[in-house]
Parts: sequence; C-alpha cells; structure tokens
Amino acid sequence: MNPVLDAIRTRRIVRALTDRRVARDEVEEVLKAARWAPSAGNRRLHHFVAVQDAATIAVLRMVSPGMFQRPTALVVICVDQARATAFGMRPTAKGLYVDVGTAAQTMLLAAHSLGLGAGIVTSFSQAAVREVLNLPDGLSPEMFICLGYPAPVQPPAMRARTPVTWQSLTTWERYSEPSSPA
Amino acid sequence: MAPTFVLTEDEALELLAFLVTAARTQLDEAAEYGPLRLLTAAGRLMGFAAARCSPETRALLDGPLSRLPDAALRSVDPARYTAELDEVCRALARHLVTHFGADRAAAR
Repeated sequence: MNPVLDAIRTRRIVRALTDRRVARDEVEEVLKAARWAPSAGNRRLHHFVAVQDAATIAVLRMVSPGMFQRPTALVVICVDQARATAFGMRPTAKGLYVDVGTAAQTMLLAAHSLGLGAGIVTSFSQAAVREVLNLPDGLSPEMFICLGYPAPVQPPAMRARTPVTWQSLTTWERYSEPSSPA
Repeated sequence: MAPTFVLTEDEALELLAFLVTAARTQLDEAAEYGPLRLLTAAGRLMGFAAARCSPETRALLDGPLSRLPDAALRSVDPARYTAELDEVCRALARHLVTHFGADRAAAR
C-alpha cells in the first residue's frame, strides 16, 4: 500500500479525545509539516498560533460553538491580512482561504501519521478569539486544528446526505450532468 | 421549597459564552446549524446540571434527552430529525407537567 494514499484514506475527523496531553515536540512536528503546505505564490501569508495551556484552550472552547471535542493542544491558523494587503490582495482574496485549507489538511495528515486525533473547527467568534489570544488587528483567526489522543470510542460519523464516490464528484473533460443508473 | 442551584458560576459563564458566540457565528453559517447549536447548549446544560438536579429531572436527562446525537443535522434525515426532536419535546413536557404541578391543578 502506498503510505501516503493510505494516510489520506484512513484519516478521520476525531471528536472524542482522551485527557492525555499532546507533547510539545508532537505539536512542533505538526507545525513543521504545515511549513511545507502549498501556498499561493509561496507568499506564506499565514501565521500559526500553537496553544497548549489548558486554561486558554478551555476559554477558546467556550467561545467556539463548533468545538465539540476537548483538545489538549490546538493550532489557530490565522491569515496575515496586513501582509496580504501589502501584496495588493483584498481581504476576501480566495487564495488566502485556499491556503488555510492546504495548511489544515497538511496538519491533519501530519497529526494522523503521529497517531494523534485531529479535527478542524471554524465556528468560533473571531472577535472573541482575537481577545483571548491577544492577536493584533492584522491577524485574522480562521481555523482551529484541534489535537489530542483519540478516545477508544468515537461518536458516529456524520452520514453523507447522498452516496459519494470519486466518480460522483468528478466529470471528465467538459461538464455534463451525471448519468442516472439504468 | 428552597431553590436548587444546578450551575456554578464557571459553568454559567461557559454556557453564556457559548450562547452569545453562537449567536454571532450563526450570522454566517448554515441555517441548519441553528438547532444544532441550541441542542449543543442544551447538552452542556444537562452535563452541568446532572449532578445537582432532582432524581426526577435526572431521569429526564438520562432518558430521551441523552439520546440526542451531538452533531446531528436536519438535512441528513429531515423526517427522523423532526421526529426525534418531537419525542424529546413530549418527554420534556411530561416532566414539566409533573415538576411544576400542572397535573395537580387538573385534579383540583
């Protein structure tokens, strides 16, 4: 089995985590991987805030309605809007947010390879998170990567609304409506 | 009867923060997240209150309310989602009738 494809196929969003703390060097490995994520124009207009302090994580969870899990470490992916503006980019430029995604997926896979459970959270009050983390105005928090050790029992995965295959997500060459089964 | 306090200040603050920030995030998110957030808040309230509430209320929390999935969304199965919420609302109403004495009012 190709180990990269295997990691991609076996990674899951992990919502149930144990109390075991993620070590600093494991968080660093996740951050090192993110450094290699694709970045539009190699501009690197992002900043990562790594958090291990239990009280800070607890407060971040309180202002993050989408955080079901109880992570023991997390990474906040911020867009450096000040530097983006200096490059002539609008705050809504899609490349900024695509790169949040590439960094996130890279961190999720790195965490998975280390035996950690990881999940993403975007439902949080950006204003509150800015306050909690003392972020300057130019840094916009966009996504959390929650880290921890997976609990033995996980909540059921969210069911797909319709069956999904790679074929159902794909058209070849010019677009055409998917053909219905005979 | 003396009131029973089922939340500490820390727990109340956590719930307050959740509700206020959920109001803000909901301005940008899918409409179906609205009931999800309310039910998550209800779940956290249940978690806080379970240790201090009456045995009767505890039975309610351990019953249909506890079976609500954490991250269920209406769009996955709208009919089932509605039916499960209706069932919880009925169980809640039955408990309220007893807890607040509405059943005794009918007998008067």
